[in-house]
Amino acid sequence: MSLSKILGTRVISIIVAVAACVILDMALSSVIKDAYYIRLVMLAGIYVTLSVSLNLINGITGQFSIGHAGFYMVGAYAAGLSSNAFFDKQPLAMPAYLIVSILIGAGAAAVAGLIVGLPSLRLKGDYLAVVTLGFGEIIRIVTLNQEAWGGSYGYNVTNKYQSIALVFLLAIVCIAVCRNLLKSVHGLSFLAIREDEVAAQAMGVNLTRTKVTAFVVGAAFAGAAGALFAHDSGFINPDLFKMEVSFLILTMVVLGGTGSITGSVFAAMTLFIIPEMGRIIKFEVSQGMLVALLLAVGAMVWAIRRTTNHFHGAKPQKSLRYLLSVLVPIGVGFGVGKVIETYTILGDKIYKANDLRFVILALVLLVVMLIRPSGLFGHHEFSWDWVKSLFNRRAVKVEA
Amino acid sequence: MEAVFPLVAGLNLDFNALPQQLINGIIVGSIYALIALGYTMVYGVLRLINFAHGEVFMLGAYTALLTSYTMGYSPEAVKKIFQDGGEVSSNPLNLVILILISMAVCAVIGALIEFFAYRPMRGESRTAALITAIGVSLFLQYAGQLFLPANPPPSISDKVNPYSGSFSHVFKPAQIAEDGNVISTAMEVSITHGRLTMLVTVIVLMSLLTYLVMYTKAGRAMRAASHDFDSASLMGINVNRVVTFTFMLGSALAGAGAMMLATFEGTALQPFFGVLPGVKAFVAAVLGGIGNIPGAVLGGIVMGLAETFVTWLGFSQYKDAVAFVILIIVLLLKPGGLLGSSKVEKV
Repeated sequence: MSLSKILGTRVISIIVAVAACVILDMALSSVIKDAYYIRLVMLAGIYVTLSVSLNLINGITGQFSIGHAGFYMVGAYAAGLSSNAFFDKQPLAMPAYLIVSILIGAGAAAVAGLIVGLPSLRLKGDYLAVVTLGFGEIIRIVTLNQEAWGGSYGYNVTNKYQSIALVFLLAIVCIAVCRNLLKSVHGLSFLAIREDEVAAQAMGVNLTRTKVTAFVVGAAFAGAAGALFAHDSGFINPDLFKMEVSFLILTMVVLGGTGSITGSVFAAMTLFIIPEMGRIIKFEVSQGMLVALLLAVGAMVWAIRRTTNHFHGAKPQKSLRYLLSVLVPIGVGFGVGKVIETYTILGDKIYKANDLRFVILALVLLVVMLIRPSGLFGHHEFSWDWVKSLFNRRAVKVEA
Repeated sequence: MEAVFPLVAGLNLDFNALPQQLINGIIVGSIYALIALGYTMVYGVLRLINFAHGEVFMLGAYTALLTSYTMGYSPEAVKKIFQDGGEVSSNPLNLVILILISMAVCAVIGALIEFFAYRPMRGESRTAALITAIGVSLFLQYAGQLFLPANPPPSISDKVNPYSGSFSHVFKPAQIAEDGNVISTAMEVSITHGRLTMLVTVIVLMSLLTYLVMYTKAGRAMRAASHDFDSASLMGINVNRVVTFTFMLGSALAGAGAMMLATFEGTALQPFFGVLPGVKAFVAAVLGGIGNIPGAVLGGIVMGLAETFVTWLGFSQYKDAVAFVILIIVLLLKPGGLLGSSKVEKV
């Protein structure tokens, strides 16, 4: 009798996930000594949770929410305040203590999600978006004015406990919950609401209840991520949860492909890493080169769009055209930039990579949206069948 | 007073300052209304929340400021003139030129953004278009951080501004105290020439807009496209031209508001300063019923009044939140906004 039959696949996958996270934690903390990189890894995990949980609301249920940073903040403050207030002597073993803290954050955010969701999910589309944005801002401004919580100076979480393993475990749990939900009756009713509310209602889906459920689950995961963030950084401040953060999470969801969990994970990693690359990689550009390259990126987008929309040749030729429409504009831009640089036509100001971080982020966002509006993954998900089919296709070709 | 307002008695309210606050609120609100018009017109035609509108506003303010430097209002030039005992030109025509330049530059920027970023996204999903708008907004902010000066000194300061004087009026409404005696309190209302000019300019611009939208061919085309985009294009309306026109119109209004804020109010400029007025104006547009032109004006004024009223109550730290509170209350009671129609979508 095999092991999977005795324990069941579900138990095995849970054990594997926990083991993988613990091993990853140990490996990372022994290899990376730099606190900055450890923080990067943690934040990447937190952003994966945030974007996957927003994907449940926005992508899967189709309810347009742009106030996710509010729930993230509720979780962070609930965890921070409660751990300072109740766990003075840390009665629990450390990981259990952090798990309790995460549960408190998730619970508080779920309650906030229920309070926000019940009245506002009657609204649709852009109106819902504005109301969720508004709730996010109200929560932030109210917190900003609580003297006891440190106000704008921020709040120190003294009883903090960092754990990379739990960050990744939360991300995995979030992904697993979303993925399994999609295969269940509840998840199918989420999808039905996204596709057509009236038809879903006619099929017996309780609209308000289903929408609020999705909203509360998404908010709870955001709150859990917030709790981890509070423990990870040890310091929270209302400015860390501005609406720009909500926009960033929303961008991750749409950039990855609305409704695709794989896309959310991938886009969260990418968008989080790009600005940090500017700190890791050091380079300098002159003003002239920068302007030339910006224009070149514009030309590149135009050329790629033209190939996609107007070129109907065979596949190798199309690939060649894609390659040319990337290489030619960038090459020409680089050349023109060099000319401007040598003759100092546009002034001799030098920009460091650190200054360019967010310009590059915005540019990547625009380029992806313009050449692939359905997001990187569209509605597709990563699956092992797909990987297998890749190999099979190649195998068939070789035989032929 | 305490008998009338038992709830607010503990707040120590200065009722004599109320008329002044009302006027301030209307002026702030009129600027919000001016920006909100851009949001609402674009939304009416394209069903797109143009998040980059706040950045157009920011660029307009920079245009006005940098142009005013070249017109001899630069801080160094003004300082020099004061030291040498000369007089700074306070020709009102300069201000007219300044506002026209700012409006024209903003109109061009708006049209360019539409052409390069939004037009390719027209057939795509609305969330994709929205993310593109956020992308444009981020790009303009951070590119502005690279290429624009942060916190440039205001050019037309109080000393130079020909409109820095103020009208004030003191009136003494009679009040009857509880013991029956007539007491009188002095209420002073003052409004600077600059702010009065702002108010008048906003009213003139809005009248012009009403004329354009209601009584010209381009305006009729715009209304048709906003009513039904596809049918309008079938009826021979060049919808691309209508969209460009709408963007130019909205951006020009934002440019006018930005110029007045940068010169008369001397607001400190930085590449991110368009975000907050942008969001508030957007909220104002939704409050009035997005897509509805009079609604945007009403929403803007309501927002301005609400903000100054909250400041007057002594909760100035909640000034930015009150906008959203009002919005949520209005939307929950009347989901289409104050003047909007809440149509039920039918299959």
